[in-house]
Amino acid sequence: MHRTTGRKPRWSAIWACLALLSASALAEELDRSIQAAPIGQWTGWRNRGNLLGDMGGLRTALGRDGITLGITETSEYLGNVSGGVQHGFYYDGLTTVTLGVDAARAFGIADGSFNISALHVHGSNLSALNLNTLQTASGIEADRGARLWELWYQQGFLNNHVDLKLGQQSIDQEFMVSQYSGLFVNTMMGWPAVPSYDMPAGGPAYPMSAVGARLRVRPTGALTLLTGVYDGDPTAAGDGNKHGTAFSLHGGALWVTELQYSNQPSDGAVESGDQVSSSLPGTYKLGFWYHNASFADQRWGVDGRSLADPASQGAAEQHRGNYSVYAVADQLVWEDKPGSQQGLGVFARAMAAPGDRNQLSFSINTGLVLKEPFQGRDNDSVGLGLGYARVGSGARALDRDAVQFSGVNTPVRSGETFVEATYQYQVNPWWQVQGDVQYVVNPGAGIVNPNNASGTQKIGNELVLGVRTNISF
Amino acid sequence: MAQWLNTGRFYRMTAALIAVAACGMGYAEESAAGLLPMIKKHTTLTSTIPDNGDLNPYAVVVAPATVGKLTQGDVLITNFNNTTNLQGTGTTIVDYNPSTKRLTTFAQLSHELPGCPGGVGLGTALAVLKSGWVVVGSTPSNDGLTDSKGAGCLIVLDANGKVNQVVADELINDPWGNMAVVDNGTTATLFLSNAGFGVGSANGKPPVVNKATVLRVELSIPEGKAPQITSKTVVADGFGEQADKSVFLVGPTGLALGEGGKLYVSDALANRIVVIDDALHRTSSGGTGSVVTEGGMLSRPLAMTTTPLGHLLVTNGLNGKVVEIDPVAGKQLYSRWIDANKAQTPPGNGDLFGLAMTPDGRGFYYVEDDVNTLVLAQ
Repeated sequence: MHRTTGRKPRWSAIWACLALLSASALAEELDRSIQAAPIGQWTGWRNRGNLLGDMGGLRTALGRDGITLGITETSEYLGNVSGGVQHGFYYDGLTTVTLGVDAARAFGIADGSFNISALHVHGSNLSALNLNTLQTASGIEADRGARLWELWYQQGFLNNHVDLKLGQQSIDQEFMVSQYSGLFVNTMMGWPAVPSYDMPAGGPAYPMSAVGARLRVRPTGALTLLTGVYDGDPTAAGDGNKHGTAFSLHGGALWVTELQYSNQPSDGAVESGDQVSSSLPGTYKLGFWYHNASFADQRWGVDGRSLADPASQGAAEQHRGNYSVYAVADQLVWEDKPGSQQGLGVFARAMAAPGDRNQLSFSINTGLVLKEPFQGRDNDSVGLGLGYARVGSGARALDRDAVQFSGVNTPVRSGETFVEATYQYQVNPWWQVQGDVQYVVNPGAGIVNPNNASGTQKIGNELVLGVRTNISF
Repeated sequence: MAQWLNTGRFYRMTAALIAVAACGMGYAEESAAGLLPMIKKHTTLTSTIPDNGDLNPYAVVVAPATVGKLTQGDVLITNFNNTTNLQGTGTTIVDYNPSTKRLTTFAQLSHELPGCPGGVGLGTALAVLKSGWVVVGSTPSNDGLTDSKGAGCLIVLDANGKVNQVVADELINDPWGNMAVVDNGTTATLFLSNAGFGVGSANGKPPVVNKATVLRVELSIPEGKAPQITSKTVVADGFGEQADKSVFLVGPTGLALGEGGKLYVSDALANRIVVIDDALHRTSSGGTGSVVTEGGMLSRPLAMTTTPLGHLLVTNGLNGKVVEIDPVAGKQLYSRWIDANKAQTPPGNGDLFGLAMTPDGRGFYYVEDDVNTLVLAQ
């Protein structure tokens, strides 16, 4: 018995070796006989980073002057199968065109770069039509149309230890960024809930941007300090700045400062045999923003009455300035082996703002992202995340006042929670397909369902399903 | 006090203190006896992208003489990818002149070069001889992956970057690593690693094939005439090689000659440095040689060069470090983060490849292939 069972694996191993040897010999034979094929527009189109490659020579021609052209399309089909104000699926999409210029190559100015980008938003907004959530289902949902997005020049100094960026900027590209949360589809995994609701017009973040100046200083390899000042309300000029070309200088000023710490080695660090750093990479950020405009109290009027009081004059008490503090953590907690793609990252991002003058006083995103969930799927990612947004104390008190004054038991807003699970499949380097499931508890933090005649019923919890695709042209 | 100062005792004590301090400094200097701790900064010198848009710089070699288009001290760099970033389709060698700080295209070949199986995709195998002849290896592909790779060839170029001859036979299959060179003017010995024998497709989990070789090529270079190959000898074989979607191939990449004809080889898949004895004269393969050092600060060791102290400098493929090794003691001395780009995990993962000492031996050139730049560490 033992002999019989012992032979099987030996024979299978021998067959495996023979198969490998014959495959290897065949591969060698092919190597010597293969002819070089002409390189054309569609050569290797599945394997390259962009679907359109060199665009018939356009990208190479632009590259000679230091210009890079990026075109991406994000399209998705999302819908809710339960809860919400109605059920249904909608298509929406975003085209982004970006032109970057390397100033060294174009003008001989070392460490300088110029960037201009434009957006085209198309399709329907599921969150506005069906969900009425605070934490909207997709980060690309926005008003339809074309708009200028960013337009800036950045110049590095002191071997790029310091750089300055001037022009129209979308600050979600640099501030409050979580490396791992970017995988998720829900808006608040990108630009978070507190600034989305507490800054005028949602702040200078996609699809908005604002004129400003940003300084970045890297005093050590581990520390980075970002600080910027921007126009406080990008919609305060040009009929709401629908096309991104109003370049508003009205609506006060927004200051943002963020300190970043990375536990990874810095450029030039020397280690000897007994001092090798082996910590898993993590980045930690602490930030603060201040806005100097006037902000309306969420509960009290200038007459000292609640705004829900029928006797109120309706003019809210004004607060001078607004502010928020935030923290972001991204940490790889496991990797298969050093340098491998396979690894598990965790993230958390929390922020708070005063509850008297803001719709939201607190928001948090947290979750896990596993890269290369299956062997051979190096660039796939699977994620499980959670988001929570808390309505501020003033707005909650206003809801309670409304119940008291009306005598109708309308809902009092509290908080909204969503859980999201997603799998991003890398079809090839220029194409991703992403399946997504979100479940929202207490949509809108408990607002009244507009379809409810009595005005006392909340919107039901929502199950959102969808698929997104990203293509780089 | 003044009286005490004038005594012989004071001078003896002072002398003793100076001696102790000098000993201490000597110890400190000895303990830092290596190149990497002495490097002060890393300076980006140029983009390596030529007018045809080729990307992914691999080989870095310093021209030893002024001949034709070459000026002594010029840094020559191969590009492995074409403008759409397909691996194994780059056809250019660029030339950076440190004096003028200008980048020019030294050679631009045709991908469909006759006589080279699979065509042209210039890898890390590059040698520039005193006579001005340039020998470069091709590891070609028709679609950016090993599925359509050819065996490639060695291409001999004149000092003006024109093709003189193409060498392809059964001993050459994807000349992959940097060349080690002994250049005597009218003769030269080149060592190159071949990492393409039977590796197949990169799909799924490609197998490790233990067929990679190190080949010694002897050249005769008559005055005013093209070099002729006088012999080829496999001096090492049996190294692991593997197809890879991200980096095309993984296999023995770094070759450096040491004292007494010892040839050091970076065995990337085994994460070690091995030595082949008597590599200049041996007539048979030394197999995979004997291990000098493994693991430790190495993380997929790639291209390799030798410092004036006889130490090895080797770039890591899986992080942004260069490692300094005392090959005689078999000891890893230092590592230095020369690319700490945190966009990758670990920082600089996949960014480094070729490197070459500066002519004065006080620093080294290297390429960052994620941003297509040449950098000087000095």
